[in-house]
Amino acid sequence: MLVTGIKSKPVYAPLQADTRGRYHLMLGMGVGAAPLLRVIAEMGAAAPKGLQNTQVLFVPDAGAAPAESTLPGAAPAEATPAGAADAGTATAVERFRIAVGNVQAFAGTPALLGEFRSTLEKSLMGTRLYVAGPESFIGLVMKIALEFNLNKDEIRAEECGTLARRVYCIHCRATTENVRTNIVRCVECDRWLLVRDHYSRRLAAYMGVMADAEAPGELPPLKEVFL
Amino acid sequence: MNDAQTIAVEVVGVEQVTPLIKHFKLAPVGGGSLPVFSGGSHIIVVMRAADRVHKNPYSLLGSPSQLETYEIGVRRMEESRGGSHYMHDRIVVGSRLEIAHPVNLFGLDKIARKHVLIAGGIGITPFLAQLEDLHGGAVPYELHYSVRSAEHAAFLERLRRREGERLHLYHDSEGQMIPFETLLAAQPLGTHVYVCGPAGMINHVIDTARSCGWPDSHIHWEQFSAPPVGDAFEVFLARSKISVHVPHDQSLLESIEAAGVEVPYLCRGGVCGFCHTRVLELDGELVHNDHFLSDAEKAKGNSIMPCVSRAHCKRLVLDL
Repeated sequence: MLVTGIKSKPVYAPLQADTRGRYHLMLGMGVGAAPLLRVIAEMGAAAPKGLQNTQVLFVPDAGAAPAESTLPGAAPAEATPAGAADAGTATAVERFRIAVGNVQAFAGTPALLGEFRSTLEKSLMGTRLYVAGPESFIGLVMKIALEFNLNKDEIRAEECGTLARRVYCIHCRATTENVRTNIVRCVECDRWLLVRDHYSRRLAAYMGVMADAEAPGELPPLKEVFL
Repeated sequence: MNDAQTIAVEVVGVEQVTPLIKHFKLAPVGGGSLPVFSGGSHIIVVMRAADRVHKNPYSLLGSPSQLETYEIGVRRMEESRGGSHYMHDRIVVGSRLEIAHPVNLFGLDKIARKHVLIAGGIGITPFLAQLEDLHGGAVPYELHYSVRSAEHAAFLERLRRREGERLHLYHDSEGQMIPFETLLAAQPLGTHVYVCGPAGMINHVIDTARSCGWPDSHIHWEQFSAPPVGDAFEVFLARSKISVHVPHDQSLLESIEAAGVEVPYLCRGGVCGFCHTRVLELDGELVHNDHFLSDAEKAKGNSIMPCVSRAHCKRLVLDL
């Protein structure tokens, strides 16, 4: 029932420094610190001048589920298990600060996305984007990058951390955040939604389709699949 | 594209707009409308001269919303193989020509946040139609137009009237240069640059944009190479089983067509890749003049763009 092999599901690759860029904007969350620090080290070796034009926006707490906004209705459906935060990320901000200087830490994704947007407003052609963190964090960053006409040549993203999904209800258009199960109740209309692999870059969400539309009440067993 | 699909047109206007450029208006024979096109499109004009057939690409410079006539600008080339001289010397109001359907290899990016247009000389022509689309729209744009001197600035009145401060004009004769580095280093994210003009200008814009960190997907350029002259050589067409002589001043494509063999083409200027042909045998070297094949593909020597490329050999066998 869970359709796989859908081409719209994004595939990400390990981050690499792109020394052809003139400015480097790095965005990360939680365990995403490691790939970003790796890129910074690569750049330091290949083109140290690039580090002077590098800026890092980072959410240290991997326990906070990536969400688009703090509005009611977009709140995380369930809390992340305590202790999931990588102990190493506590010092990540310090490590960024030593490596590039220009670092801003944020309490959550909405605050980071706000700063990201105003940074893009001021950014020039020649900017490269590096994103590392949970898939839904990458998706939210990509959604804004897309509005600025950044394309695949200018963005690199590496997935790490939770696979929890943002799920868009195709019936009421509400988005349910932090979904770990194969079916989920829509946060807005309460329908049981089947979470598909069909992904929208514009919405930064997977499509959720009413699971028991043809046989009301007949639902597949609830399983944790996006961990 | 082949000749069966051409449209018969009549020349309904000719104007000398600079010492080297003539502006032609073409209307369909028998009236009616011409096919719809988008800014940046070109047509192939078929000129049936007494001794040979010329087929040259020209950008459409009129408004895409006005389809009673097509407008083209033709620069008289000093080293012409005859096409531009034929247009300048023989074509008058009332002359008949054939044209191919418009093809766009130089369209504007539809989701760009800003457009920077850079034109050198006759390279202004594709932008004239694109400006019709951009004018009055919400997306910011600017045009940088470099000309030899004031008298060589084609379509300047039209541009000044319409574009005002978005037009930046540079006269070579007064030592004015487009400040490529400062221009390209200071563009907001999501900008696309388009350049049409002499080869040197195009290469300089591409190199400068790359050195400013622009990805290639934001850099657009168009240059129709006239087929360069070269040594005469023989070509054998394996499937048609005929041998064709390619004179020094005729292109491989033209020679093959003159022998009655049709090759699919779109731009005839080494840009689109449509006439890509397999090389089966060669006892010398290929002279690649196109902008389509990568350097690696050119080095392999197993394919050729017959519209602009030639061979330096005794015997060449093509899969035609």
